[in-house]
Amino acid sequence: MTTNSLTAAAQAAASASARPPRRRQHYSPREILLGVLFCVPAVAGLGTFVIFPLFQAIFLSTRGTDINGNPSRSVGMDNFAQLFTPEFGEVLMHTLVFTLFVVVVGVVGPLALAVPLAQRLPGMRVFRTLFTLPFAYSASAASVVWLLMLDPSMSPVNWALRVIGITAPEWTVQSPWALITVAWATVWVVAGFNLLVIGAGLAGVDEDVLEAARIDGASGPRTFFSVVLPMISPSLFFVIVTTTLTSLQALGQVQVMTDGGPNGATRTLVFSIFNNAFENGNNEYGLASAQGLVLLIVGIVLAVIQFGVIERRVHYR
Amino acid sequence: MRMTVRRGFGALAIAMAAALTAVGCSSAANSGGGTSGGDAAAPGPDVLNGKGQVEITFWHAMGGTNGEALQKLVEQFNNQNKGKIHVTVNYKGKYDDALAAYKNASAQQRPDLIQMYDIGTRYMIDSKSVVPVQSFVDVDKYDVSDIQPNIAGYYTVDKKLYSLPFNTSMPLMYINREAFQKAGLDPDKPPTTLEDIMADAKKIKATSGETVKFGFGATLYGWFVEQWNAVADQPICDADNGRTGRASKVMLNTPTNQKLFTWWQDMIKQGLAMKLDSNTDNGDNAFSSGTVAMALESTGSLGGFVKGAAEAAHPFTVGTGYFPKVDAANTGGPIIGGASLWITNRGDQVKERAAWELVKFLGSKESQVTWHTSTGYFPISKGALDDPADKQWVSQKPQFATAIKQLQGTKLDFATQGCSVGEMPSVRKEVENGLQAAMLQGKDVTEALTGVENAANKKIADYNAKLGG
Amino acid sequence: MTTQVAERVDPPVRRAPRRPKAVNKTSKPVGVLTYVWLVLAAIVLLFPVLLTVLGGLLPEGQLVRQPPSVFSASHYSFDNYVSAWQQTVVPLLPAFFNSLFVGVVIMLAHLVTSSLAAYALVFVRMPLRKPIFWLFMATIMVPYEAIVVPNALFIRSMGLQDNQWSLVLPFLANGFGVFLMRQAFRQFPEELRHAALIDGAGHFRFLFTIVLPSVRPSLIALSVWSFLQGWNMYFWPLIISSSNNSMNTLQTAVFALKANGNGTQQALLLAGVTITLVPTLLLVVFGQRWLVRGFMAGAVK
Repeated sequence: MTTNSLTAAAQAAASASARPPRRRQHYSPREILLGVLFCVPAVAGLGTFVIFPLFQAIFLSTRGTDINGNPSRSVGMDNFAQLFTPEFGEVLMHTLVFTLFVVVVGVVGPLALAVPLAQRLPGMRVFRTLFTLPFAYSASAASVVWLLMLDPSMSPVNWALRVIGITAPEWTVQSPWALITVAWATVWVVAGFNLLVIGAGLAGVDEDVLEAARIDGASGPRTFFSVVLPMISPSLFFVIVTTTLTSLQALGQVQVMTDGGPNGATRTLVFSIFNNAFENGNNEYGLASAQGLVLLIVGIVLAVIQFGVIERRVHYR
Repeated sequence: MRMTVRRGFGALAIAMAAALTAVGCSSAANSGGGTSGGDAAAPGPDVLNGKGQVEITFWHAMGGTNGEALQKLVEQFNNQNKGKIHVTVNYKGKYDDALAAYKNASAQQRPDLIQMYDIGTRYMIDSKSVVPVQSFVDVDKYDVSDIQPNIAGYYTVDKKLYSLPFNTSMPLMYINREAFQKAGLDPDKPPTTLEDIMADAKKIKATSGETVKFGFGATLYGWFVEQWNAVADQPICDADNGRTGRASKVMLNTPTNQKLFTWWQDMIKQGLAMKLDSNTDNGDNAFSSGTVAMALESTGSLGGFVKGAAEAAHPFTVGTGYFPKVDAANTGGPIIGGASLWITNRGDQVKERAAWELVKFLGSKESQVTWHTSTGYFPISKGALDDPADKQWVSQKPQFATAIKQLQGTKLDFATQGCSVGEMPSVRKEVENGLQAAMLQGKDVTEALTGVENAANKKIADYNAKLGG
Repeated sequence: MTTQVAERVDPPVRRAPRRPKAVNKTSKPVGVLTYVWLVLAAIVLLFPVLLTVLGGLLPEGQLVRQPPSVFSASHYSFDNYVSAWQQTVVPLLPAFFNSLFVGVVIMLAHLVTSSLAAYALVFVRMPLRKPIFWLFMATIMVPYEAIVVPNALFIRSMGLQDNQWSLVLPFLANGFGVFLMRQAFRQFPEELRHAALIDGAGHFRFLFTIVLPSVRPSLIALSVWSFLQGWNMYFWPLIISSSNNSMNTLQTAVFALKANGNGTQQALLLAGVTITLVPTLLLVVFGQRWLVRGFMAGAVK
């Protein structure tokens, strides 16, 4: 499948719909029927439970709820007006920082582990297996454990830092740190998965190339960036996409670890949606839906960037 | 490439338009449920006759060992009423989850009985989906004089007892007795005011060889601020805490709260108080691990604290004191917290009656003794405290006597009844945001409190507007 | 081993292989640094895992200590595991079976729906392939929290709220699955595809005899991923099981151990979390080979 043929196809389709008399020559009806048949299960499932509810959400976004949570009155654009406030700006900012941290650390970290792991040294498989264990955790399970890891009264992390002479920050309590802490718990879960994917990509790279990147002090980094990275670009692209999604939709971490605090410093978009819809008996489905649409737009913009720009640099072989 | 992208969005837009029209017809609404506020006479016991075994459902929010204790009580009830009433118990998650589930359920899906937290009271009344317990009390001439008046006070709105209190707790001051002794303080006289706490914390900090790291450490829990105001005998909502009319605003930017917030900030600045957030788990760990010497928590935490203190790296004994006053001259007392049992109006008098039978059972002296001794929740029944089994339990946990005395010493007025407003869960959350702003982000106290007031007032205004429309 | 290597610093010397077959091209200093780096990373990444598993063995109250007490408790026992398993508020055994149901059904459904759709997108010549793919991608971007309300209302309007199937119904198709399979299919040599089709092999035969068998690693990778998604789901089961507890999954059940009002029993909670982790940890350890091969299949031919 080439971009050319697809563009041609799209043009054909476009012109076909514009000028009915012209016949489509590229497609056989049987092929189309088969394609439709194959797509139906997925499209039906996603259509009913993702796309249709999304339009309901659009409808809901123009509604105000009564105290029982029934979207009983129309509020016009009020819910959208609430998106143009400094508070919501902060929410977007938190989302951006959170996502950036998770994607950067959650991809670079595993890369920094996967490269040494790709060597043929004894014990590498054991290490790899161990590193992927956190991937087994659900978001809420990971949050429970990291909350204990950083609990001010027992934190093994703080203790270890103190042993080497560093005063630990107040992880979940201090403003800039709280967001990083929550993001870190997310990184911890995704790192295992990303390591596997990147490792799989590296396994396809010629050992001599890797070796050159590893040892040669002068040209090593250059080899790495100009040869190795492009070679594993499909894997990298894949983990960047999945990690972006995971972090954009991370809820359990925020909910369990900080509940949006301190004073809203860890309110991300998804948390804000969840909070407006379900916490404290808020039931502001309208506002939550309006924010959900913002998240959708953010997602689509990122998808366009990732697939439209980055994927073109990915070398599939 | 660009071409195909645009096509993609075109298709999306068409699909959107189609689906929108579809949505326009289908209503996402679920029906509001019951109709009346329950002023009609409640059914008497005879409606159950000849109905065979009546099946009812009961939603609760008691996890862990508390949930097991509740289940045992219900099992007991089922056994006593074999062939007449059978109750299915459902744990619905935490209070917030239970409330959300209740709101999201349609009239048929709602349970016959639900346990709802204290701050959900006004919402339950406004939802017009319940039968006030008062109507059954009237029909049965049920004797409510056994219920602790301060506890019943919270759930009495417009002179009507809407729900039967079930699990109640009070805030206490918890102290590490050994830390007090080492600092030359009398562990039998825990501090009673903010000034005392600061003075004691300083002494504890100055004690050499002290393993406790902070004199004081309490979760930034909105409930505590409500308590401090009640102790100061100050209503936090207008219309007498919403008890004589519908509350329309909160009164939080007051000298009492300013003093409280400033004091807390000072405590943290001077290293006397531990920086904690609003997660009670962290606060509980701080005390039971011996990290802080003084803490605020509900009576329900006593059991866990005693156990934790014994296993701590430096084991200690737990002492209790009254919830501290902001000013020594304060004359109020703490509000009770916890949850109560609500009978829902689903248009089936038989089930309502069956639910009331369960409510009566759970509120009875015998059940409350079991409940108190197995969970540590305060018994709602005065008689329960005189029961030998209960007395024995209290004698084993002498710290609990503080709670009994504290409750009995509290006068019942609007301030100590607590604020009754539909958006109370949100108001509490806003107060927590204010606490976090002042204690964790170092915001100016007046600014933080004004912020809380504005945010809370907006929520209340929205809620009241919803009631109108 | 570390000291041994540190003594001899001359770079070109190759490390004597431990196992005769292991070909080793790495110089020693690099090897040492590698191990130091990996061990450090292992401590950071794995301590939380140890804390989860061992913390559940500690007596309640000994967990919250500094320095960390997981290795120095007065005694270890399975008491917390037993009481987590035996508590009756939300019994774990039926919840375990529900979770299994959710994981397996979602996994099977993803395999079917994703492979078919991805096949159509890659191999079937039809219009609008890219827009349809975009639609699938867009669904990945839809945060679940944004649509959970309409979905819950929909399930309820169909009267399915107390039916086990409502736990899985919204998740039978998944955009990510389509993406994953499409990536796998795209690695397929174009020549082979053309050859097969020109050869007259129909789409069905081509799909089942050639395509699917050769992307088996990707299928297994998708299975593992989907099962984990289903198994770890928390929010939906909580919202949808409106009136009976027989709808609990292991995740919702375990978090019920976080009690209201009388402090959380954290060692007990850790024991519960460990119980939910047993199947997923096993899957990650033993399914790992397949995950790697699945993703390698995407990178290599």
